[in-house]
Amino acid sequence: MAPARERPAPIVDPAPKGRGRALSDDTSILKRRLLRERLFYRLCTVPALLVTGLVAVVPLLLLVFNSFRNQASGAFSLEYYGASLGNAFFLRTLATTIGIALGVTVICIILALPLAYLLARRTLLRNVIMPVITIPRMLPFVVIGYAMILLLAPTTGVVNKVLLGLGILQQPAFILFDWPGQAIAFCYTGIVVATAVLTGVMMSVDPQLEDAAVSMGATRLRAFFVITLPLAIPGIVAATALIFTSIVTAYAIPVMLNGRVPYMISLLISANLLTLQQPHLAYAQAVIVSCLAIGVTAFAQWFLLRYGQRGGAR
Amino acid sequence: MKPRAGLGAVFSRTALTLYVIVMLIWLLFPIVLVLLASFQGKLEVDFSLAGLNLEAYKAIPPAYWQAFWFTVRAAVSATALAIVIAVPAAWAMVRGRLRGRRVLSNVVLIPDVVPQLIMGIALLTVFIPLHLSNNFAGILLALVALSLSTGLRFSEALLEGLPEEYEQAALSLGASRLKSFLLVTIPLIAPGIAIAALFIFMQNLVTFELLFFVAGPNATPISVRLFSDIVDRGVIPYAVAMAGILVYVAMAFYTLVAVTLGPKYMAGSVMSRKG
Repeated sequence: MAPARERPAPIVDPAPKGRGRALSDDTSILKRRLLRERLFYRLCTVPALLVTGLVAVVPLLLLVFNSFRNQASGAFSLEYYGASLGNAFFLRTLATTIGIALGVTVICIILALPLAYLLARRTLLRNVIMPVITIPRMLPFVVIGYAMILLLAPTTGVVNKVLLGLGILQQPAFILFDWPGQAIAFCYTGIVVATAVLTGVMMSVDPQLEDAAVSMGATRLRAFFVITLPLAIPGIVAATALIFTSIVTAYAIPVMLNGRVPYMISLLISANLLTLQQPHLAYAQAVIVSCLAIGVTAFAQWFLLRYGQRGGAR
Repeated sequence: MKPRAGLGAVFSRTALTLYVIVMLIWLLFPIVLVLLASFQGKLEVDFSLAGLNLEAYKAIPPAYWQAFWFTVRAAVSATALAIVIAVPAAWAMVRGRLRGRRVLSNVVLIPDVVPQLIMGIALLTVFIPLHLSNNFAGILLALVALSLSTGLRFSEALLEGLPEEYEQAALSLGASRLKSFLLVTIPLIAPGIAIAALFIFMQNLVTFELLFFVAGPNATPISVRLFSDIVDRGVIPYAVAMAGILVYVAMAFYTLVAVTLGPKYMAGSVMSRKG
């Protein structure tokens, strides 16, 4: 902390004129002082780097490193990647996961867009609905899972009871412990996230632009599609990436609402890790999945940089 | 918008209202269902208000409360640590104009970018030989690493919004760098930091996937406890009651933030919910 107690180096006129003798002395003192100051700044960032390094960078590097090593002999090998990517079951599960994630993401964005637009333009509505879309974001996914079971469970769930009572269904529908149940659960969380993100984006689109379009003869609907929607595209991309990656790597809901066949890739990975005792295979699969997730995020980032950040990336 | 005459306008207006109502019900249902079930003490929710009771809440076993307070303790300590680490780092990065600043802040963002499931698996491999899995320190470390990214993002934004002139004034009057940081900068950004701490705390409280793999019988966050019970034993009324308590915590958090900042702040806020 020594440099901190030092007088700060003022924003300096480095060589006061007419003091030729002391000039070289002065600059060297100044240089040292600047150096010490920079060192002090560097020191401030050390704890943060240390924690991140130890708890994130090293474990991740080890994960990648181990995924390239044979579990028994420790020799370098690509067998786990081969075993994953050559395995029809793995590929099918991966495809299902991506399919569910894509479908759910698209549905969420489409359903949330009009709501976000309304929320952005009507202050009153926004103030009423804001808690409704914020509170679920502060809940663990586990709680959402409980709610899903209460809603959709085969005999005790609310939906089944209502539909049976109305005579629409003859026997209870078993949608919960199958992929539709999971998709519905993801839809819920996705809509919450999409609404929150898109509302922020829509609020940053100037309503006067739309008014201008309307004053020139466009209908409100046309103004929305031609003016507002294109301006909101960065936000839509950001929301899409966020929802897609969170579904691909979701763990709680797939386990809670699981059927016998694992539909989601995260189940396969954790089964390999915890029950089948093939950690290195699990690492390789984890690397494949994170490449997918990070790739999508990175693509979204690149897109936002390339096409402007008007919508606000977060 | 001006009301336009005509059947089409009326129709579209009705459709829009209907849509908003449906969305509202869809967004609200988990909260309503969990709360109703927790007060009815059974799993078959009905909408009669007659049988409301507190049985389920009374039946919450001590293990659940332990897990709950364990989570609160871990979340509070992790938040405090993360703030203490992140604020000086952000200050040095913004004011020091360090070379490689972008690299630095991107490194700290890693735990936020890598999916939590994968982070959890990676942590497990490292924590087992270090004896950090299944204890408080391990959970705390994982949470601190996660919180740092949020903390750093918040405090960087706060410091960038703060004119440097205040600090320079203090410096020119003879204060040291450290003194000006403690006496000028910290008080100025304190309100923003408090809000950031609130968000980070909430994020820590609900983190699941990151902690699932490093948690164990000696260190069980409440989300992991609720999760493993539903997998092992199915839905139990007192677990629903605990879920209800988490809903109250979320509501309290929202009220706190809305009262201090106004509800507008929550739209598109920095807190990106994952996992």
